[in-house]
Amino acid sequence: MNVQFKKGVLELCVLVLTAKQDRYGYELVASISEKFHISEGTVYPLLRRLTQEGFFTTYLAESQEGPPRKYYQLTSRGRLYMNDLVLEWRIFNRGVNEIIEEGLGYDKA
Amino acid sequence: MTRREFMDELNALLSALPDKERLDILADYTEHFLLGMKQGKTEFEIAEGLGSPKLVARELLAGYRIDQAHSNASVGNMTRAIVATISLGFFNLVFVLGPFLGLIGILMGLYAMTAVLLVAPVGIFLDYGIPAPSQERLFLLFSSMVSVGLGGMFAIGLLRLTKWLYRQFLRYLQFNVKMIRGK
Repeated sequence: MNVQFKKGVLELCVLVLTAKQDRYGYELVASISEKFHISEGTVYPLLRRLTQEGFFTTYLAESQEGPPRKYYQLTSRGRLYMNDLVLEWRIFNRGVNEIIEEGLGYDKA
Repeated sequence: MTRREFMDELNALLSALPDKERLDILADYTEHFLLGMKQGKTEFEIAEGLGSPKLVARELLAGYRIDQAHSNASVGNMTRAIVATISLGFFNLVFVLGPFLGLIGILMGLYAMTAVLLVAPVGIFLDYGIPAPSQERLFLLFSSMVSVGLGGMFAIGLLRLTKWLYRQFLRYLQFNVKMIRGK
């Protein structure tokens, strides 16, 4: 997938994935890379930055098997920020889709 | 690349970070490796997915440097933040260094002008000496006062402008790190 498309969207993805439940890093990386190819290592710097900016808090939780996991929890600030981003994305997405429809629809007619 | 190789390289690249932060980052990647291996992936596959430790480290360093420049405003910290951001890619060389040098140029011009306003009266008195005809003396005194007054106001305004620009430029750096990411 075009690299230019992915820039900026990654942030929106991790925020939305944590909207309903707290997630740990591996989970976030895995669910995003299921949908499109990313350089997985850069998700962790992103998570750190979002935590520093106060959009996430983190806590460690022991798991039954395997190592303890660092969970990311969306703060109320993070939720507001996510809502803004989702809204921006929808407007952007609709605009691009309309342009595609008009462009390609015209071609077919 | 094995897990050991990946972690060693990352550790070495992050040596500029304080221990607490560095160890915390390494723990994130260790967790990632352990969970991946539990899913039945090999160390090589996981390292491959994570991408180059260099890229990861550059991004972490840029984030750290910008944070430092935020909490401790200084020329040195700003310089390190800029260098770290530029290291993220060629685009940043153009989009970070260009505007930065431009701003520095404008600021230096303004500072030079202020310095001239503040220092000019000294020159006037040195040139003419104090015992001048009374009318000329009054004019000189008056224009010196205007010059120093303006210079003082400019100086105060400039200091504020510099601080404000410092913060704005950091925000711009942050925006750059966010947008110009990954290969």
